[in-house]
Amino acid sequence: MIEEIKTISEVQNAAIELEKEISNYVVGWSDVIRFLIIGIFTGGHILIEGVPGTAKTYLAKIFSDTMNLSFHRIQSTPDLMPSDITGSHIFNVKTLEFDFHRGPIFANLVLMDEINRAPPKTQAALLEAMQEGQVTVDGVTSILDRPFMIVATKNPIEFAGTFPLPPAQLDRFMARLIMNYPPKESWIDVLEKKNQRGEIVNVNPILNQSAVLSAQKIIQTQITVSDDILSYIADFCRTTRDSNRIILGASPTASVSLLSAARGYAAVVHGRDHVTMDDVKDISFDVLNHRFIIPQIDISSNEQINSDEQKKQLLDQIILKFEG
Amino acid sequence: MIDSLTSCDDIKNMANKLKNEVNKNIVGLESLIDSLTISVLVGGHVLIEGFPGTGKTFLASLFGQSIEIDSNRIQSTSDLMPSDITGTQIYNPKLREFEFRKGPVFSNFVIVDEINRAPPKTQSALLECMQERQVSVEGITQKLDEPFMVIATKNSIELEGTYPLPEAQLDRFLFRLIIDYPDELNETEIIRRKIKSLPDLTPQISKSAINEGKSLIHSNVKAEKNIIQYVSDLVLHTSDLPKVVLGASPRAAVALLYAAKGYAAVTEGRTYVVPDDVKTVAFDVLNHRLILRPDALLDLGDTDNNSAILYLQKLIKDCIDDVPVPI
Repeated sequence: MIEEIKTISEVQNAAIELEKEISNYVVGWSDVIRFLIIGIFTGGHILIEGVPGTAKTYLAKIFSDTMNLSFHRIQSTPDLMPSDITGSHIFNVKTLEFDFHRGPIFANLVLMDEINRAPPKTQAALLEAMQEGQVTVDGVTSILDRPFMIVATKNPIEFAGTFPLPPAQLDRFMARLIMNYPPKESWIDVLEKKNQRGEIVNVNPILNQSAVLSAQKIIQTQITVSDDILSYIADFCRTTRDSNRIILGASPTASVSLLSAARGYAAVVHGRDHVTMDDVKDISFDVLNHRFIIPQIDISSNEQINSDEQKKQLLDQIILKFEG
Repeated sequence: MIDSLTSCDDIKNMANKLKNEVNKNIVGLESLIDSLTISVLVGGHVLIEGFPGTGKTFLASLFGQSIEIDSNRIQSTSDLMPSDITGTQIYNPKLREFEFRKGPVFSNFVIVDEINRAPPKTQSALLECMQERQVSVEGITQKLDEPFMVIATKNSIELEGTYPLPEAQLDRFLFRLIIDYPDELNETEIIRRKIKSLPDLTPQISKSAINEGKSLIHSNVKAEKNIIQYVSDLVLHTSDLPKVVLGASPRAAVALLYAAKGYAAVTEGRTYVVPDDVKTVAFDVLNHRLILRPDALLDLGDTDNNSAILYLQKLIKDCIDDVPVPI
């Protein structure tokens, strides 16, 4: 088990080892796993949009076990209250004082299942914790343990009884990833694995908590970003605001996320000490797709637009424009 | 009483013994008893759905009595709270401390009546216990004793004041078993038996035998490559069926494989899975996992629950007919 990470190449090696251990249990999803690693190494939160039964919980739990982190899962329901997440004060008869009983948000990795089924007040409480890294209950503020990462899932099929996340709250997720049913070959691999192993999971931890924190520090201090790249990122997000096919473009918060994810990507995927334009391009869709809004209906044909497809095309056009 | 199981033949004998015992008191539900046996042996949970008064809870409790294990029953109500199921911290004035009192979920068999009457938070607390086989209250996690099986019942008629289970939560049940009204012959038999008082059931199987059966099925019942291919093809095809928005998930495919392995051992004492095993359990495994288009039932001219079941039966039968068995 690695206790401390000192160089960028050690960050990359740790990521490779993590991916290897996770793939012993989870079939496929290497893109998602990579972004989870980038997220935990850069302090970002991840939104996974996907249908039930694609091993989202299983993946998150194993991901957390490979780093020896504490893990909690919260199932969102319409009657879930903020104090069900943050915790509350309970009277202690011995000391005649109120003790704070910590809620499930107090963990390194919190999986918030079907976040859009929670009522708005509860979503907001969660998003405050994401932003501030702390929880305030009855005027008393408790700092959350670090690393702290939320992985939220959202089911695209259910609409009845859900509360959609407003754009300002979506903006707080570093990336939105899509986990629908895997390709055909993966189904057979899943069944083979379950046929042999059953439900027994025995994860071998690769890192510990302090190693994760040291990796965060290395990425923060040792990945350099040139002025060219900074203005490329800023221009990239500005262009989404100028396009006439977009109702609402990417915000400055989006630029910040794009920068921080690009640094993580450079270290985790390439073991490089600086960010290139290709890094920004590679992650642009995952980081930006939930941060700009396009029309839902095509005015000329009056047909419903597949927004993910359209957004991908739009971003590709922006990338081309910069190159041309 | 059976104390130990060593082969798949033993599993079949055990299943027969269980069936005979439960049949002393119940009429015409043989195949459901087998399904419950399969579920307990592959670590699944069961949802039983049917009209009021068709013996859903009765079946579940008889099944529990025939095995030497603890069983508890929870009646769901709209004011049932998560801590009513998991347990809670109770103040002890003598020690001036809080102590954890275990809730009814701490049992091998938990019968949850009318699960859709419980509010969403309580349903999800229960489903979390089902999935993780452990309970977390106030940050303290406790493992549940094995075997652990939840049998939830649900009335087919949706009344006001119920909270339908969302798809993601339905997906966690291995089987949804549908109980229909008995035919005339069976109904007469049911009331005839009531003239005399029903005999008490005695446990036929020990707890350790059930746990041995679980590992026997996992390690001794083989599923060859073509069976795995078949399970995957069949479940993938459910997404292509007409009027289905979303077919069954990879989790459903895993459930179908486990159920087929259980079926091979329980009904025939076989040590390998054949395609017919998969076909036979397919309806019970898949019927609650397909998301139909809202207009699917309107086209049938009738939107009551019975016609929905008939439509699902036809869909899944078509699915089985469409998909060839790989060699």
